[in-house]
Amino acid sequence: MVAHHKPRVLIAEDDPDTLVILRINLIAAGFEPMLAGDGHTALERIASESPDAVLLDVMLPGIDGWQVLEQLHAKGDPVPVIICSGKDNILDLQRARDLGAVAYLVKPFDIDRLIEATSEVVGLRQAGPATEQGTAADADGVELA
Amino acid sequence: MRNHRQSEPDRLRRDARIAGLRDFQTPSLEAVEQRRRQLWQRTATALALIAAVVVAFAIIPSNRLADAGTGRVLFAIVGVGGGLFLWAFHKETALERLTRSLTDERVLTAALTNRLHEVSLLLDAGKQMNAHLQMDELLDTILRSACELLDATGGSVMLVEGTDLVTVCALGRDAAVGQRMRLGEGVAGYVAIRRDPVLIDGHADPDLFPGLVLREPYVDSAMSVPLVHRAELQGVLNVNAPIGRSFTEYDLRALAVFAEQAALAIANARLYEAERAHVAALLDLRKRREAG
Repeated sequence: MVAHHKPRVLIAEDDPDTLVILRINLIAAGFEPMLAGDGHTALERIASESPDAVLLDVMLPGIDGWQVLEQLHAKGDPVPVIICSGKDNILDLQRARDLGAVAYLVKPFDIDRLIEATSEVVGLRQAGPATEQGTAADADGVELA
Repeated sequence: MRNHRQSEPDRLRRDARIAGLRDFQTPSLEAVEQRRRQLWQRTATALALIAAVVVAFAIIPSNRLADAGTGRVLFAIVGVGGGLFLWAFHKETALERLTRSLTDERVLTAALTNRLHEVSLLLDAGKQMNAHLQMDELLDTILRSACELLDATGGSVMLVEGTDLVTVCALGRDAAVGQRMRLGEGVAGYVAIRRDPVLIDGHADPDLFPGLVLREPYVDSAMSVPLVHRAELQGVLNVNAPIGRSFTEYDLRALAVFAEQAALAIANARLYEAERAHVAALLDLRKRREAG
């Protein structure tokens, strides 16, 4: 029997609709999604289940996405984090970069681009040179790494 | 080939069946944990028994058991032990999948509950605001509701007057009422011009907010959101966090949603005031005409 390991992606998002949509699409794309509706749960699941990537919404109840990212950064946790935010100002982009996020997606994002970015982050697909199609986050955000 | 189209409930039921939770009707993490403890207790007991038998075989002099085929018996016992461990491991894998699925379901339920709570609070606040048409009462209700919604200790409502923002209602710093600032000055002025909510954590950056005046008492964390109705800026709503607490982006979003309703209520109150003034002017005109 060959173990089939699907890349596990933690979705840290408080909006139930977005959680369901992302879960369905990530499953269809061959990922194994895990859910967290607040910052505490996100940190707990990252520590206990070591996901391959994290889709981190900035606006989370309890401790927000920035605080989650700060704690991961402080602990030196190597899990790649993709920031999902409704804001696209340069200060937030810089903050995400400084705290070690690998990509920054601006909401509302195209689901295909999100999947593409996630695939690149978990190393499912080789990230080729920037082409006409662009990198995963060109249209909706920024590649930070 | 595994059926990838299997629905979530079906997958849960299958994992529950594999894990030995045959009466699995109501999903619960507690039931899974209980089953896990039970599984490993039984497995540990069985493995301990097998180990005891193996040790017993080792202790008894080999010449007394030689004819009984000790080697074969020991091999069979160790095989049973290995099989038992694999069986437990298989169940544990199913239990792990169940735990993850149930945690996900719990997260979804909690997210839905939180959203319902948030909508309910905003609905209540909207009802309270729409119950007032007198501007003073309305502004007071807006500020108190915002502070209640976000556990804030104080704040202010500033309305646009020409090219200025005027503080018309304040909580926690009454002296602020009547103060004016130009649009574009300070945090509130920045918010008014950009029409973008701002979350301040720690000292505000004077480079980002020209004309910023640091006021006493110092506030650790604050939020400012624009009050915009039908693309028209009505003013700015500011709230301050209590000492030791920081607002988050989540709070900012809640305040921004609240501000949409507040802006509508202010626009209605202004319309009502204008209508009343109009009616008063007409009545005055009629009185003069009758008198003249």
